[in-house]
Amino acid sequence: MSSLLGNIFKGWSDYTKSIEDGGHHQYEHMYAMVIDLDKCTGCNACSTACYAENNLAPVGEDLFGARQAMHWLRIERYFDEPDVGEADADTQSRGASFLPMMCQHCNAAPCEPVCPVSATYHTPDGLNAQIYNRCIGSRYCANNCPYRVRYFNFYDHPQTAWPAPMDQQLNPDISVRSKGVMEKCTFCIQRTRAARDLAKREGREMKDGDVQTACQQTCPTSAILFGDLLDESSAVAKAWKRQQVMLGKYKQDKANPELRGYRVFEELNVDPKVLYLERVREV
Amino acid sequence: MSLTNIDRRSFLKVLGLGGASAALAGCDMPSTVTLEEGKEQVYSYLAPEEYVIPGVGVWYASTCLQCPSACGTHGRVREGRVLKLEGNPDCAVNAGKLCQMGQAALQAHFNPDRLTQPLIHGKPASWDEALGLIAEKASGRVAWLTGAIGAHQRVLLDAHLSATGNNRHYAVETVNARPWFDACQTVLGDAHPKLHLDQAQSVLALSADLLGTWISPVNFMGQYGHFRSAPRGVLMAVEPAMSLTGANADQWVAAKPGTEAAVALAIGHILLVKYGLKLDAMPNAATAFRAMTPASAQAISGVSSAALEKIADTLVTRSPSLVVANADHETARAALALNVLLGNIGRTLTPSAVLEADALMPRLGSTRDLAEFAQDAAAGKLDAVFIQGANPVFVAPHALDLPLALKAVGFKVAIASFADETTKLCDVVLPQTSALEDWGTHVPAFGASAGSISLQQPLMEPLHAETRGLGDILLTLGKQAGIAELEAFDDYYGYLRTAVSALMGSDLEGDWNRVLQAGHFTAPAKDRTFTPPSDVTLSFSESAGGEALLLVSTARQGLYDGRHANLPWLQEAPDQISKAVWDSWAELHPTTAARLGLKDGDVVTLTTKGGSLTTRVFTYKGVHPGAVCVPMGRGHTDYGRWAANGTNPLAILDAPLGDWHNNEVLSGATPVRITATGENRHLVRLMDTDQQHGRKLAATITAQHFARNQGGA
Repeated sequence: MSSLLGNIFKGWSDYTKSIEDGGHHQYEHMYAMVIDLDKCTGCNACSTACYAENNLAPVGEDLFGARQAMHWLRIERYFDEPDVGEADADTQSRGASFLPMMCQHCNAAPCEPVCPVSATYHTPDGLNAQIYNRCIGSRYCANNCPYRVRYFNFYDHPQTAWPAPMDQQLNPDISVRSKGVMEKCTFCIQRTRAARDLAKREGREMKDGDVQTACQQTCPTSAILFGDLLDESSAVAKAWKRQQVMLGKYKQDKANPELRGYRVFEELNVDPKVLYLERVREV
Repeated sequence: MSLTNIDRRSFLKVLGLGGASAALAGCDMPSTVTLEEGKEQVYSYLAPEEYVIPGVGVWYASTCLQCPSACGTHGRVREGRVLKLEGNPDCAVNAGKLCQMGQAALQAHFNPDRLTQPLIHGKPASWDEALGLIAEKASGRVAWLTGAIGAHQRVLLDAHLSATGNNRHYAVETVNARPWFDACQTVLGDAHPKLHLDQAQSVLALSADLLGTWISPVNFMGQYGHFRSAPRGVLMAVEPAMSLTGANADQWVAAKPGTEAAVALAIGHILLVKYGLKLDAMPNAATAFRAMTPASAQAISGVSSAALEKIADTLVTRSPSLVVANADHETARAALALNVLLGNIGRTLTPSAVLEADALMPRLGSTRDLAEFAQDAAAGKLDAVFIQGANPVFVAPHALDLPLALKAVGFKVAIASFADETTKLCDVVLPQTSALEDWGTHVPAFGASAGSISLQQPLMEPLHAETRGLGDILLTLGKQAGIAELEAFDDYYGYLRTAVSALMGSDLEGDWNRVLQAGHFTAPAKDRTFTPPSDVTLSFSESAGGEALLLVSTARQGLYDGRHANLPWLQEAPDQISKAVWDSWAELHPTTAARLGLKDGDVVTLTTKGGSLTTRVFTYKGVHPGAVCVPMGRGHTDYGRWAANGTNPLAILDAPLGDWHNNEVLSGATPVRITATGENRHLVRLMDTDQQHGRKLAATITAQHFARNQGGA
């Protein structure tokens, strides 16, 4: 019991420190992403790759309509472009805006301090993780997530989602979640673990490119970058630096405010670790 | 139970050895198989074969068959099961990437609705019975109807046809690029020129969904990534309803269905008249361009002169450009003439290469072949037909009346992995292995690398013992037809290995293993050259229908032509544009919907001369006011447990037969009447808003900002 309370107190203390001082974290790695919305075509390849990699259950039309789908990575599509002026009244003349949305692995994650059992916490890799067998299904975390990227198992999907022999496809590297637990994007933690073990066996440090998430791997236009922000040589760290986006801030003070990098809902001070690059259109 | 009672077969399945043993040679593990024939031994799970490490996945190269692009894949195999597919980084077509259809090939493989044994008149039978019946009945005028097919499968198919004294092969693909290929052949003398999006500064797509379904979308999306890097290219799309390409365009323009040719001609007009470009090589084309003024094109297509001017201006000022088109043959030819006019030949369009063994080149399929098949069958010109890799009954427009045509064919054999609308009408159904269990070679639809042939190798022991690979079935049929040369081969693997060795000029074990490891090899090929642009007569023929709404069936990367409707991942993947899942919908422009008194979710009946269907309304501004668009793919009656929902727009298309030659992609030919049923049912979508409501979610900046900062990433 004491260790559980300890976890909860630690979660609270981490969270309060995060919102006061975004740079306080002592991570071994800090995995983060960059998504170029001008390259993203909204094709869904990443989302389907995520279903394949992470044992996501298709739920069918009714549950999808009840907002109970399990798509850890979804492609939102908008038809308005508030930043480049009013839209054409009659026609969708500049196409659509696509936004791949998954867990942003916030450094000050609002889902973490509300968990009554500390089932959601931050790993030393800077990931927002969900401990399935600690989760009691209170769903407070999902309520508190501004991105709506936590997915609750209202039903026992494994009973219906993969009729034999489809169950043979399930990835044995991660669990299949059953009724009553919350689940979410892990930045393909099983791949990170495997890469770390491999590096250890080979007696070397991990390097940029050792880990590719499933979505990044398959993205046909290479719109997604993934890597360790603490490794200054990584493509992700360079992109963040180039975009002049700093962690631990809820408002960026860019020397060049025209740079494309921004974080969704940054103003909420959740310190998300996914950097989006604005879509570009001829106007 | 003693250990020796363990069923050897299921035990091997667990270990992933047996028939797939040769496949295992492809990795960097030792390549010898130590199981001795006829010797029964039981090994502990803890001591499997030296190259099977429990808990460690090994990636094997193969080829994706979800569409004719033939992207290279890597399949992750662990404990004998294939768990995940990724693109093969070494493959020039897709450079390590896959689309969602490629990712979902796993679900076709592990699908619970697979055919597991031969059927004769719908009743389970043995292979001997089925093959016996084929030997007895498949004679006379024998034809093949397949999907896109190439390389050694095509060679065996052609051999079978010539041995039976026939040469009728119908390659049917509803989602095809036939108008473009034909126009390229006519104008450039090369049907399959290489497209260089990555070199272009502006691209105009006239109903050619090059990011979604056209020729080789993963390759084009890879090029698109470069196209969008600084200096950033401009993408323009003109089409009746927004495709994935249109959704990513800087300038998207709605054209009335079937009028894309008029748009292309008017752009040519502006280039000739306003910008003074010369088209001396093609005087007839120039005359046609001059005849189509922007004003008349506006009256025909609804595309404003201002939009046409802007497109022409971008094409001229952002050079080199590229114009692609697939709406119909007229539009494709006009697009080629535009490319000549803009000086793109040799820059963004370059000659392809052809294999020296040109019998291996793929037949990529068309709707025309389907129309010809329907006519030949109905006219009693065919005695027997083998159907493989296609579902003609589902994709055939109503006007072709395929069920009736098939009835006129005396004996029908289907080779298929799933029961579908077509297999139901066949006398014999031969169960085919999945693409992940079979051997094969494939020539990609888009030849990104000269002479490259992709190798398909099994990633797993067949799930169902009674299924057989396409190559093995073709080999059996060939032997049955008396082709003596095939007697030397016990199975398709043996044939393929011999054939590939001959192409490579090496039969060394090590070279074969290198092919298995790489997933592709290079066969001798020669570069084609473009002929000087040959003059073509350009025209625009207005389709009938007048002011009536026109039905457009759109293809999407996902369910494609309906072949992927039985894959839950793709049913649950929201449509890229409407974001709807698991059901069909009819896209209407808001003004059209308002005129008809319809709103989102209204259940409507669409009626054409070909019949009627019922679906729900989805309104948005990405569709021409004169069009009703229903994406194809759904509405199966007989395709397993996941495919029954929705409705099939192809079933009510009713173009006159003569039109098939112009109208390969089945758009805009059918006037449709729309009536409300009075019911309203919410269309299930990923999101019920299309607006960001003032939040900075998907933000946009102008290209001027981008150019000033060189993209910043």
